[in-house]
Amino acid sequence: MNYSSELLKGTLKTIVLKLLADNKKMYGYEITQRVKELTLDKIQITEGALYPTLHSLEADGFVTTETEFIGKRVRKYYSLSPTGKTKTKEKVSELADFMETMKFLLDIKTKTT
Amino acid sequence: MYCLSEKQIDYILKDISARGVEMESLQLNLHDHICCIIEQNLEENGDFESFYQKTIKTFYKDELWEIEEETLLLLTYKNYYAMKKIMILSGIYSATAFILGSIFKIMHWQGASFFIFTAMICSSLIFLPLYFLFKTKETEEKGKKIIIAVGTFNGILFCISSLFKIMHWPGSHILWLMTIGLLGLIFIPLYFFSGIKKPENKTNTIATTIILIIVAGFFFALTSLKSSKHVYISKSYHYLQNEELINRMKQMKKDTTVQTKELIKLSNDINNACVKIKGMIINSELGQSIIPNDFESKNLWLEECGLDREFIPGEVGFNLVVDLKDKINQYNTLVKIPSKIIPIENSLVKMTDDKILGFSNYNLLNHLTQIQMFILQNER
Repeated sequence: MNYSSELLKGTLKTIVLKLLADNKKMYGYEITQRVKELTLDKIQITEGALYPTLHSLEADGFVTTETEFIGKRVRKYYSLSPTGKTKTKEKVSELADFMETMKFLLDIKTKTT
Repeated sequence: MYCLSEKQIDYILKDISARGVEMESLQLNLHDHICCIIEQNLEENGDFESFYQKTIKTFYKDELWEIEEETLLLLTYKNYYAMKKIMILSGIYSATAFILGSIFKIMHWQGASFFIFTAMICSSLIFLPLYFLFKTKETEEKGKKIIIAVGTFNGILFCISSLFKIMHWPGSHILWLMTIGLLGLIFIPLYFFSGIKKPENKTNTIATTIILIIVAGFFFALTSLKSSKHVYISKSYHYLQNEELINRMKQMKKDTTVQTKELIKLSNDINNACVKIKGMIINSELGQSIIPNDFESKNLWLEECGLDREFIPGEVGFNLVVDLKDKINQYNTLVKIPSKIIPIENSLVKMTDDKILGFSNYNLLNHLTQIQMFILQNER
């Protein structure tokens, strides 16, 4: 099952920030692949959503970039800035709290196996 | 795993650019991303061209530049739509409330101050700052940004000084002069000299500068035409002198032996009505019913202006004046001696009721003072 883009839109920043917090530095393609891998293909981040988000995070000062030449092409690595680290914690706990509220709101019973 | 040649790598970058992606950093992002996909997913001897075309199509809905558009939207216009909406709504409200407030003020209807106050606050604190934000985003030139900043500040100052003037708050004159000073001495020269440098803007700059000078000159003329505070201070002193004169006349021994009881009552009623109306006129301007003797040091002089809404037909002030006119007519019929009749030609009494609102505050005060003096004179 693939989740709708509406659902992903509000969580993309948090996903990217958390991945960067766990992996020090990553480049765009790597981020999409890692998400795919970790979610068993359930979440597939599109390029059209990922790069605007990365640029926005960079403009906000939450991530820093460094470039590396891979033969003839340039690769941009993203890593968290100190403010980005704080922001990640905020965002993750906000989302966790939101998920709890949604569970309660939609009356979703957690499976007990 | 496919190995991309230098030629193919160049081709991809050029294609991304040709598809309308102009931001260099985004070009590099997409370039590396596509290269990675091809390298990872295309077989060693696979068809590069068709695979590339298939892959790039998965990046967008209609066109590749959508990604750049989305990026720019996120970067430049955070909260863009909400802000733009607020700017337009605050602008519409300011303009409407200002026009309504002005109409209410002219018609002496209740609520004029509310409309004018909120219009000025809304335009100076919400509309103009947001307008500044959007205008500066449109340009990259630092000089232009400075001109927009000075212009916006001038606009805010204009709103605030107009508000002070309309509400009769102290300091309005200085604020008004500051607004005109900033417009004439800083904004217009700044605008003119920066615009005149560019040949394509020359005519436009000259024309706009002329219009701005006319506007500044017009405002300055308005400021100068209006009497200065010295005139009002002098008028307030005259009023106080007259009040003192009335007091002294009252203290003199009164000869009311020749007057009937009815006449004495009438003269008392007339005097009381005059005091009451005077109190209302002064109160509407100063917030207290008398002009204090030390008004100058307290900045409490009375500025000449129209009567307040209490004097529109049907209101308390209006009824008091109509009643007073009636009493004066009764007084004149009762007083037998012709030399003691209160002259009514060209006075308040002869005026029709609808003319009352046309009086200025000082005008009506003078009429009332004279009536009081005539009455007191008759009792000496």
